[in-house]
Amino acid sequence: MQESIKDMATSLDLKLPTKKTESYRYFDIESLLDKSYKTVQKQKQDIKDSKILKIVDGVVVEAPKNIVVSYKKERFVSSKHFDELYRFSHKINDEIIHIDIQNDTDLKILHRFEAKESFLTYRIQIDVKENTTAKIYETFIGCEAKGSFVLYGYDLIAGRYANVEIVKDETIVKDTYTPIHSNFIEAKESSNVKLFSFDYGDADGLVLVDSYIEKDANIDAKHLLYVMGKAKRGTVSRLHHTEKNSKSNQVAKSILQDSSRGIFDATIKIDATAPGSKAHQNSKAVLLNDGAYMASKPQLVINIDDVEASHGSTIGELDETQLFYLRSRGINEDEARKMLILAFANEIIDDMSENEVVNAVHNSFEKVYYGKGQLECIATCHFCEDVIL
Amino acid sequence: MNMVEIKDLYANIGDKKILKGLNLELQEGKVHVIMGPNGAGKSTLSKAIVGHYDIEIENGSIVYKGEDITELEPEERALKGIFLSFQNPVEVPGVSNAYFLRTAVNAKRKYEGKEELNAAEFLRKAKETANFLGMKPELLNRSLNEGFSGGEKKRNETLQMLLLEPDFIILDEIDSGLDIDALRAVSEGINKLKDGKRTFLVITHYSRILDYIKPDVVHVLKDGKIVKTAGSELVEVLEKEGYAALGES
Ligand SMILES: Nc1ncnc2c1ncn2[C@@H]1O[C@H](COP(=O)(O)OP(=O)(O)OP(=O)(O)O)[C@@H](O)[C@H]1O
Ligand SMILES: [Mg+2]
Repeated sequence: MQESIKDMATSLDLKLPTKKTESYRYFDIESLLDKSYKTVQKQKQDIKDSKILKIVDGVVVEAPKNIVVSYKKERFVSSKHFDELYRFSHKINDEIIHIDIQNDTDLKILHRFEAKESFLTYRIQIDVKENTTAKIYETFIGCEAKGSFVLYGYDLIAGRYANVEIVKDETIVKDTYTPIHSNFIEAKESSNVKLFSFDYGDADGLVLVDSYIEKDANIDAKHLLYVMGKAKRGTVSRLHHTEKNSKSNQVAKSILQDSSRGIFDATIKIDATAPGSKAHQNSKAVLLNDGAYMASKPQLVINIDDVEASHGSTIGELDETQLFYLRSRGINEDEARKMLILAFANEIIDDMSENEVVNAVHNSFEKVYYGKGQLECIATCHFCEDVIL
Repeated sequence: MNMVEIKDLYANIGDKKILKGLNLELQEGKVHVIMGPNGAGKSTLSKAIVGHYDIEIENGSIVYKGEDITELEPEERALKGIFLSFQNPVEVPGVSNAYFLRTAVNAKRKYEGKEELNAAEFLRKAKETANFLGMKPELLNRSLNEGFSGGEKKRNETLQMLLLEPDFIILDEIDSGLDIDALRAVSEGINKLKDGKRTFLVITHYSRILDYIKPDVVHVLKDGKIVKTAGSELVEVLEKEGYAALGES
């Protein structure tokens, strides 16, 4: 079955983003929406017991016993999300995959895309019960899904006093799938959410995150982008302080090679109802060659005096004197560059709490570094599964 | 036998002509000293030898072990055994000193067809050497040179030299900023490598380090050229009378 995304939106009475839409100003969303795709009928399956949660083309096929996974029609939807595709993805998906985290949990999610030339869309909702610790790592494999458009996202509700670390590790290779992730995070009172994103590869993709940060809650968001070729890739986010004494700290590090474009279009908004809030935001980019480009737009929107906020943005190159120093000790240029790039990136990678996850992200990085944008997709796939299993 | 022969070297930094027809021969197994006024071109010469990107060689040749190295990449020169202890070692935040040292040592071992050292083997050796130099072992775990004091940086350069065991060692003011104990430790490190085969080029302003490392030949570099070459007795003359005593040559 072939149906245009625009027709779907019209029938749902929804607007789609255009070239002029603020949140997509650095990303060519129209050409992605204009293409025609096959639509995929989701066939629910019996869920096999496994160490990981495995979702293939939007269908749960495996899940660990200790977490409660179900399909649900009723769900959380943020009415104020800045992204039109967030609403669209909620409307178009009758059901969402619901993950109910009741106890301290370590969850690995593998998203696998197989259908070619297709519009793949699904959403998950993650509820983390109050006072509970959840560590969630998600990674993506989509080598077979050539030409597909993946519209996916999660709604994460961190209950009061919950501790959540959610890591996204996604290497995308040219001529496979293009993802738009449209997420929402609600950090309830005194919860602590640490968000990490590792976006690597030589293909396009965008993550859009909106959030609410309630009283005494904290969101730490760290983004590492390492892209090459002609990739347009990055994050559009809004950390929204809605109640008093809420905190956020956002750090983006971007490494851009060839003629890639990095996107960090990030707003921190502090409402008048959020006195005593603290917000810090910083973006650093390294351009590895001429032709690479970084669209870095950190912004603070503050509607009250009694807050502490800062932001900054720098764009530079690898330091030539450092590079020379390493080479003068017999380290070849490739290796020396890698050491410096990793030195730049490690601040984010090493900040994660799980060694296993740190290693997985390091390995993804190495793979991409030595693949130099001409990634062997299948190799990457095997690799991902090896790591996660 | 000469290990290094530099002939008629003209080198520029940007538009500025720094080395102006420099000739220098360094004998295998000997300690050569270069002294000379500030800005004469001593560091420029050492950087030209290791292939620093700032320096453009306009004319002349640098022959090391019979091979003209002026076109080689810096890492190739290093792997062939050339080592420069920098006057101002650069700080590299985020790269652990130990990891850097191991990568460098293993690059050299690999080049020489030796087996690479694993992390434990390497660390044992690095700690032992650091200890010999009176270096705090914690400096191995820190970022390369980041926040190191002047003396700590120089000791770290010496540590690299001892671990890499190069054949041609250039020490650009290794003695500046060292306290008395550090000067002795660093000198002992240098003497440890003296084996009658390695060649040393010691750039210094002071005779103090030369009490520890006995020089065989002393050169004076002035205005981009070697203007005098003599035995170790020249040091004393220069200390007493300064470079003016050499007159214009
Ligand atoms: N990057 C640079 N750009 C411009 N001029 C430079 C640069 N580096 C060095 N020079 C100049 O080249 C000349 C020689 O410098 P060099 O560092 O070789 O002197 P030196 O003999 O080592 O002096 P010192 O004893 O003070 O260390 C100086 O006049 C210096 O200002
Ligand atoms: Mg100098």
